[in-house]
Amino acid sequence: MKGKRLLGMITFCAIFGLIFATTNTLMAQKVPEKIIIGHPEGMSGTYAKAGEQAIGGVRACIKWVNQTYGGVKIGGKKVPLEYKYYDCESKKEGVTSLIERLITVDKVNVVFAPYSSGLTLAGTPVAEKYKMLYMDHGGASDRIFQQGYKYIVQTIGPGTRYHMGTLDMIRKIDPAAKRVAMVYEDDEFSRMVLKGAEDHAKKLGFEIVFNRTYPGKVTDLTPVLSDMKAAKPDIVIGGGHYEDGQLFCRQMGDLDINVKALSLVASATLPAFHNALKSLAEGVMGPSHWEYGVTYSVEGAKKVNLGWIGPSQDEFVKLFKEALGKDVIPDYHAAEAGAQVLAYALAVEKARSIDPTAVRGALGELRFMSFYGAWDVDDTGLQVGHSMVDMQWQGGKRVIIWPPEAATGKLYYPMPTFGDKAKGKMAVPK
Amino acid sequence: MIGAQLTGNLMQGLILGGIYGMATMGLSLIFGVLKVVNVGHGAFIMIGAFITLWIFTAFGLAPVIAIPVALIVGMAIGFVFFYLVMRRLIKAPELASLLATFAIGILLEEIAKLIFGSEFRGYNWAVGKIILPITVFPMSKIYAFIGSIAIALLLYIWFKKTRAGTAVRSVVEDSEGARVCGVNVGWVYALSFAIGIGLTVTSGVLLTMFIPVGINPYMGGGYTLKAFVIAVLGGLTSPYGAFFGGLIFGLIENGSYTLFALIPGVEAFAMTRFLSFLILLLILLIKPTGLLGAK
Repeated sequence: MKGKRLLGMITFCAIFGLIFATTNTLMAQKVPEKIIIGHPEGMSGTYAKAGEQAIGGVRACIKWVNQTYGGVKIGGKKVPLEYKYYDCESKKEGVTSLIERLITVDKVNVVFAPYSSGLTLAGTPVAEKYKMLYMDHGGASDRIFQQGYKYIVQTIGPGTRYHMGTLDMIRKIDPAAKRVAMVYEDDEFSRMVLKGAEDHAKKLGFEIVFNRTYPGKVTDLTPVLSDMKAAKPDIVIGGGHYEDGQLFCRQMGDLDINVKALSLVASATLPAFHNALKSLAEGVMGPSHWEYGVTYSVEGAKKVNLGWIGPSQDEFVKLFKEALGKDVIPDYHAAEAGAQVLAYALAVEKARSIDPTAVRGALGELRFMSFYGAWDVDDTGLQVGHSMVDMQWQGGKRVIIWPPEAATGKLYYPMPTFGDKAKGKMAVPK
Repeated sequence: MIGAQLTGNLMQGLILGGIYGMATMGLSLIFGVLKVVNVGHGAFIMIGAFITLWIFTAFGLAPVIAIPVALIVGMAIGFVFFYLVMRRLIKAPELASLLATFAIGILLEEIAKLIFGSEFRGYNWAVGKIILPITVFPMSKIYAFIGSIAIALLLYIWFKKTRAGTAVRSVVEDSEGARVCGVNVGWVYALSFAIGIGLTVTSGVLLTMFIPVGINPYMGGGYTLKAFVIAVLGGLTSPYGAFFGGLIFGLIENGSYTLFALIPGVEAFAMTRFLSFLILLLILLIKPTGLLGAK
């Protein structure tokens, strides 16, 4: 009897030991040595500036994950992130071929999309073909998420929301300002901003007195702005990307088109806008996903029942400067790309896997806050958790003026005339 | 109301067209003499823009001072690239010179990016405005227009009244015949390429006087496309024809906008580009040497 019991125990121990050893071996096989993030980004061409910012933001947050956070936790191990990026020259054909290369040659575990809606959209079918998770930090067009793609997830907010806050703010402070002119670049992203602004303006009871687009790479906006001047708007909203935004403001000044408020997407939020236009930029507003000075914190996250991950705002700025080797303050292109790294790290931990399908599923259930603000996506992958802010140039500084809970200063309204601005008038509230 | 807007836009178009014309003269000169299509044209415009920005921001000097500086720098660059690259490609298949100018353009853009970064820059040269009932002209635009006319006129005089100009015209007509008559064709090639690049770099100065923002290493692309249309309009081999081509292009671009804007549901600005290229196609079909070119 004793012999039988002993034999049974030995058999049990042997089977248990075998199962334990096998499971351990399998787990050891599944936990990678490193997780590779692949990224085709515009380091040259039209979007070189945004691309540089995005790469700086990604590198800053990878450094935080690897050094401060200790790596991404999977299967009891902490796995470091590695970053593989190439210059797509801000061209669609570059994006598609580089994504193929990143997936098939470099064997990356996730692909970050390049800046801009057009380039992001161009790469989406390639990522889908390989069932590769494709994370979008700079493609704001809602249309990307209306195609039925399964592997794309957005960190930047949807384009249709860009000018909603601006219109809400004007409606609240000046109900008499009714005449709105909308002049946007004719591209994937700006068309979405226009559509959102148009619908929202109608809902708020604004009268749309002028509604036009202009082509990309435009070198002169005089005809369309002269036409707009004749419509006598109170408020002008529009823009597209960078050089066209500078041109827009400059030529409004050339033609003496004075309005109560001017808000331009993308370009107006960048330091280069004020550097190029000097006093003509005073009082000009722009919607932004993130500005230095926003007050997202661990305490703030607790108040809204969200978990916190990542560096504080000041830590992020320090890491960003180290990553680029330049003494520059990051803009929202850097912040959204950095926040995307944090979202990916959390999702891998939640999925306990680096399998793109599993991580995509985990991202769908993820809600958190970081220095960039709240993060949450809907079933299509569209960002629905992040809120935008509005900034205004006041005395050469970017001041957050909307929404009230995020504001770092008061709105200067109405904007000074271009004649006054040319004489050096600053839009600094008393 | 529409009449006033159309007149205002045509006046703006005429001034802009003068700058466009100036920006195309170098392209036409190089094609006329060397039969080389300078695909990197826009990169040389960018150099002129950065020279202006540098002179204005570093020394506080008026952008007009940048005109002679740009001409000298542009000609020097032209000679360097001619003797380093283009001289070897004159008799080579057209694709070789096309790729070479494309490569030169990319090289210059990337060097500019290394030096200046990829920011979009600009400057403010406030020298007053002319305010008319139908439109407003900043004086900087007027100075740029006058500069364009003056340079086009000087080039015309140089072509028609000087020995060097006559030598260049003879090479445009028949390079072998010119060689037989004792013209140093190699020197004419070098000089024409240098002047062509010098004019293009100078046009960058005038363009920034017209639009003093959006200065960036990659700013030239949009102008290159327009320059090809204008070069065809003006007669591919004629630099002063290109100047008139620019005037016509500016008038079409701005004038047609006002008319297209009257049609409901039409994106007027996009249609101006459509019209420009439609006209280009028609001219190529009817008169392949260009509107103002020789028969």
